[in-house]
Amino acid sequence: MSVARALRLVTGGPERRAIEAGEVDAVIDPANGRVLLLPEAKRALSSTGGEAANRLLAALPRQDYQRLLAELELVALAYGEVLYEPGERIRHVYFPNDAIVSLLTVVQDKALEVGLVGREGMAGISLALGAERAQERALVQGTGSALRMKAASFHEALEHCVPLRRELHRYAYTKLIEARQTAACTRFHGVEERLARWLLMTHDRVRADRLQFTHEFLADMLGVRRAGVTRAASALQRLRVIDYRRGDIRILDRKGLEAAACVCYGVVKALAR
Amino acid sequence: MRARKTVKLRLYVANSAPNSARAIANLAAICKEHLQFSFKLEIVDVLKFPLRALADGILVTPHLAKLSPSPAAKIVGDLSNRSSVLLALGVKP
Repeated sequence: MSVARALRLVTGGPERRAIEAGEVDAVIDPANGRVLLLPEAKRALSSTGGEAANRLLAALPRQDYQRLLAELELVALAYGEVLYEPGERIRHVYFPNDAIVSLLTVVQDKALEVGLVGREGMAGISLALGAERAQERALVQGTGSALRMKAASFHEALEHCVPLRRELHRYAYTKLIEARQTAACTRFHGVEERLARWLLMTHDRVRADRLQFTHEFLADMLGVRRAGVTRAASALQRLRVIDYRRGDIRILDRKGLEAAACVCYGVVKALAR
Repeated sequence: MRARKTVKLRLYVANSAPNSARAIANLAAICKEHLQFSFKLEIVDVLKFPLRALADGILVTPHLAKLSPSPAAKIVGDLSNRSSVLLALGVKP
């Protein structure tokens, strides 16, 4: 069922506002009780038995993916949840569907984002490289679902599934480049360019034009003061590429945002499939 | 912690569709932080029990109903706006 038809069925109230905000999965027809799924929900629910939403898993041959599914468990990850702290043993790896996880390097009491994981990747990649403990903090910054696997099952899968190993090595390489690029970016580029880059990276990993982040959160991610984020967000707003009010960010002009971002966005993006 | 009445909640979802999954995760986080153990939550999958949704007058999912203590309240959407959820639940942030 299309969004337009849903809006014809639900004529008012908070239900209508929720449909307009893209926060509704299904509408129940009051005339006959039929449950009508909205397009995105339909896609997501029909893909659980077929192709994976996570791109790493989707890149595997179908047979390998089906075999892995037996060891994968669907979990909901909520904003603010910490999956790993530095030094902690990695008990599970996570393949996000629509959740987003930030990787933060912690130095004394400060943390700086050095990587972002969404449906293109996985959290816990260091297990594939032989490290049993996390080096970074993995913090959920976008609520959503993920498929997770126990560390022991993951090791077993790596041993038997060559395509998985190949995909993960390629992915680990992109993460390495991303971290190197971020190090240079943090030193050489201005807050405005970095904020634009960060918004683009997040936008690539969610399928919505609306993102919700406070100034404080963005300041932590970029390792700058809140005032710096305010100035950068205002500048992007003046360019009419985003609209930002009270933690609610709308991306108005994706091409314009790409033009406002530093070259680092393109460098990392070119490596990812 | 001061004693308070158990909050009874019912969340209507469409299986694990994206907004429903987000609503469950957001609600779980809110309950854990603000209600500790003083809540009862029932999750109704309208794809499995469509007539129940119809009988309860539910028009869309996700839909969270606060059943008790009164006043009853409802909130629709993925429950990402924490302050409006807390307001509906009658909890001071």
